[in-house]
Amino acid sequence: MQEVSSTSRRQLLCALRNVSKRFGNIQACQGIDLELFTGEVVAVVGENGAGKSTVSKCLYGLYSPSEGHVEFDGKPVEFRGPSDGENAGIVMIPQELDLFPELSVVENIWMGLERPRRWFGAFDAGAMEKRARELLHRLGLFVDVNTPAKLLSAANGKLVEVARALNANARVIIMDEPTASLTEREVFNLFSVVRSLKRSNVAVLYITHRLDEVFEVCDRAVVLRDGRMISDRPTSDETVSGLVRKMVGRPVEQLFVRHPHEIGDVVLEVEGLGSGSAFQDVSFRLHEGEILGISGLIGAGRSEIAETLFGLRDRTAGTVRLNGEISNISSVQGAFRHGIGMVPEERRTLGLILPFSVKHNVTFSSLLKFMRSIFIDTSAEDKFAENAAKEVTIVGAGLDDPVSALSGGNQQKVVVAKALARNPKILILDEPTRGVDIGAKSEIYRIIDGLAKQGHAVLMISSELNEILAMCDRTLVMREGRLVRSFDRKDFSPDVIGSAAAGVTVDSHA
Amino acid sequence: MPSDQGDGVDARSPKDRHGRSILSNTLLARPETPALLFLILLLAVFSVTTKGFFSVNNFIGILEQGVIIAIVGLAVNQVILSAEIDVSVGSVLAVCAFIYGNLAMMFGGNLLPLFATLAVGTAIGLLNGVLSTYGKVPSIITTLGALFVYRGLILLLAGAQVLNVPKTSRVLGLSDVAGIPVSVLLLVVLAVGFYWVSTNTAWGRNIYAVGGNESGATTLGLPVNRTRLIAFVLSGAACGLAAAGFLGQIGQLQATAGTSFELRVITAVVLGGTSIRGGRGSVFSPIVGALLVGVILNAMTLNRVPGTMELFVLGVLILLSVSSEGIRQRYLEKKI
Repeated sequence: MQEVSSTSRRQLLCALRNVSKRFGNIQACQGIDLELFTGEVVAVVGENGAGKSTVSKCLYGLYSPSEGHVEFDGKPVEFRGPSDGENAGIVMIPQELDLFPELSVVENIWMGLERPRRWFGAFDAGAMEKRARELLHRLGLFVDVNTPAKLLSAANGKLVEVARALNANARVIIMDEPTASLTEREVFNLFSVVRSLKRSNVAVLYITHRLDEVFEVCDRAVVLRDGRMISDRPTSDETVSGLVRKMVGRPVEQLFVRHPHEIGDVVLEVEGLGSGSAFQDVSFRLHEGEILGISGLIGAGRSEIAETLFGLRDRTAGTVRLNGEISNISSVQGAFRHGIGMVPEERRTLGLILPFSVKHNVTFSSLLKFMRSIFIDTSAEDKFAENAAKEVTIVGAGLDDPVSALSGGNQQKVVVAKALARNPKILILDEPTRGVDIGAKSEIYRIIDGLAKQGHAVLMISSELNEILAMCDRTLVMREGRLVRSFDRKDFSPDVIGSAAAGVTVDSHA
Repeated sequence: MPSDQGDGVDARSPKDRHGRSILSNTLLARPETPALLFLILLLAVFSVTTKGFFSVNNFIGILEQGVIIAIVGLAVNQVILSAEIDVSVGSVLAVCAFIYGNLAMMFGGNLLPLFATLAVGTAIGLLNGVLSTYGKVPSIITTLGALFVYRGLILLLAGAQVLNVPKTSRVLGLSDVAGIPVSVLLLVVLAVGFYWVSTNTAWGRNIYAVGGNESGATTLGLPVNRTRLIAFVLSGAACGLAAAGFLGQIGQLQATAGTSFELRVITAVVLGGTSIRGGRGSVFSPIVGALLVGVILNAMTLNRVPGTMELFVLGVLILLSVSSEGIRQRYLEKKI
C-alpha cells in the first residue's frame, strides 16, 4: 500500500521547532517538534482536545506560536496570518467545506490568487477555465467548471479545495479529517488523490480520527496527547492497538469517581430508531441507575441519537418506549414532560445564554417551578439557584455575574445544573467534559456518579475512551450511523472499543 | 491520474459525467432571470391589454422614472452582494441634490455642481463604509443613523429653502441624444462599466466571496474590509451622480425630496434577484428590478388604478418574489 520514496528525494520542507501555544491559562500544545518532508503523508492522531488542530493552525499561520517557531525551506519564518502561510506554499483544507457557494468552480479555484489577464487588462476567463479543468482532471473530477460550488457534493467540493491548493502552488497541504463526510467510494477516490499528491512531491499533513486511514495512506504517524507529542514513527512500525494505547494512556484512577450503584428497571427502550441518513436501526435499553455510554468517532451519528431522543430531530423510523409506554416525543417540551434532560455538546451555542447571569441560566428552562400566578417568585428562584450552584460546585463567579465570566469547566457545570433543575429521570450527556480542565472534569464525574446512585438513568456520549471505560456500566459503539457493538463493563478494554469505533479488527495489524 | 477515471465526458458540454444537464449553467439559473422573464411577460400583457402602453414615448417615460433608482441601485447592489446594507441613500441623494441646486443657482453650468456632488457623495460613502467595516458598527445601524443625520441637516440648514434650478443646469434630466434621455445613456454606460469591473477585477470577484462566505474569505486572506468599503464609497458616489439627474428631472426641490428613496432602491435590487443575505445576485438585478416596478406603476396609472394602491402592490410584489425564489432555489439545489 505504501509507496517507497527514495531517500535521496527525501528533503526537509518545513518544520515546527519546539512550538507551544497557550490561550490564557490553557496550554493547547507544548514543545511540538514536527518535520515534514517532500512527498510524504504524515498522520496526526489523538483524542479530541489533544491539540491536533492547534498544531496545524500554528503551521499554516492562523495562530502564531507562543514559543518556538515555524521553519520553511530551512529558514525560520513568521507567518502573520493564513495568507502568509499560503504564499509560502502551506494550504489548509478544513474539515467542513469552505467554498464560496454561489461562485462557480473556476472562481473558487482562483479565489484570492493572481488571475491570468489578457492584454487589455480583462481576466482571461478561457485560461482560468482551462487551468481549472486541468487541475480537476488531474484529480479525477469531470464536472462542468462553471457549476456553482453549492451544487457540488461534499466529496467533489473537497476535490475542488484540493485543486485550489494546487493552483496556489501548495507544497504542503494540511487536510483536517478529509473523509469525515465522504462515502466509502469517495474515500477511496480521495486516497488516490493523496497518493498522486505524494508523487508530485507535495507533503500532506493528514489529521484524522480513523486509524484505518492512517495505515492506508500515511507514511508516518504522529500521536498527540494533552498537547504533547507522544510518538512519531513510520506507520510500518505501528499497530492500531499501539496507536490507541498511546492516544489514551494516562493515569486515570484518581480522575474518575465511581461508586457501586444499583441497576433497576428499564426506563428507556429504543427499537430500530433511525433519523434520515444520520443513523439507522439503533436499538438499546437504558435502566434506572445505569450509566450507558455511546462511544464512537465524531460524525458516527451519536449526537443525532441524543437530539432525536430529546425531540430536536425528526424520528424517521423505530419506536421509543418510556417506562414501557410508546412515546412520540417531537419537541423539547415533550422531552421535558417525559422527564428527559440533556446537556448538549456545544455548550456555548446550545447550552448557555452567555450574557445572562449564572442564576438565570440555571433556572430559565424550569421557570414554571417558581411561578406564583403569573409572576416569578424571585426569592424562590434565588434560593434554588444557590442550592444548585452549591450542588455542582460552581466557582469563579457569583450567581448574578454573567456566565461568560466563568471558565469552560464551570460553564459546563452551569449547563449540568440547568439540566438537573427539572429533576430529569433520564439525563443525556453529549461530550460532558469536552474542553474542560482536569479539575472540573473530576467534579463532573462526581455529579454523574451521584446521579446514578440516586437512580437516575444516564446516557453518556463520549469520544474519550477513558471516560467511557471508567464511568459506564455498559457502552454502545457507533460507526457510520450504525450501532456496531455493545460491551458490558467486564468486557471493557481500550483496544476492543477503539477498534470497533474505527472499524478495524485488532488482530489484522497486531 | 489512473486510467480508471477515463470515463470522463467532454468537460465543456453543459452536462456532468452522469449525463444530467446542469440547469445552473444555463440562463435559467441566473439570479435575474425570473425577474426578467416576469418583466417580458408583463410587457407583453400590458401591450395587448392597456391602451397607450405600447408606445415609444411611454417606454421612455418608464425608463426616465426608473433611471435614478437604477443608477443608485447598481452601487447599492454591490453593497448588498457583500452582505452589508446601505439604507442612507435617500438622504444622501437629497443632500447632494441640495448642493447641486445651490451651486447651479450660484454659478450655473453642469460640470462644477456635478463634481461637487460626486465629491460629497463619495465622502459620505467613505464615512459610512469606514464605520461599517473598520469601525465594526453593523451597517444597518451606521446607514440608518446617516439616513436621519443627513435628512436632519437638510431640514436644519435648508428647511425653508425653495430651489428652482435653471434649465441650463438640468442637462442630466432634460437632454436627450436621438430621443434617448442622457440619464438613460448614462445608466447604460454605468451598467457596462459595473459588469466589466465585476467580472474583471479582483474587487468585483471578492464582493461575491466576502458576501457568500465571510469566514472562507478571511481564511484565504481576502481584504474583507477594503472590499466592502469600496462598495460603500461607490454607493455614495452613485448618489452624487444620481442627484444631478434627479434634480434635472424635477427642477425644484424641497427638504423632503427623496424620502423613502432608499426603500425603492432596495426593492429594485431584491426584485431583480439579488439575495438580501449577500453573495448571490447579478450586476443587472437593480435595472431589471427598477424596470419591473416602473412598468407595473405605469400600467396602473394608465388603467386608472388609484395611486393609493401603489404601496400595497409593491409590497405584494416583494413578498411574492422572495417566496418564489425560495422555491426555485430548492429546485435548483441538486448535488452533483
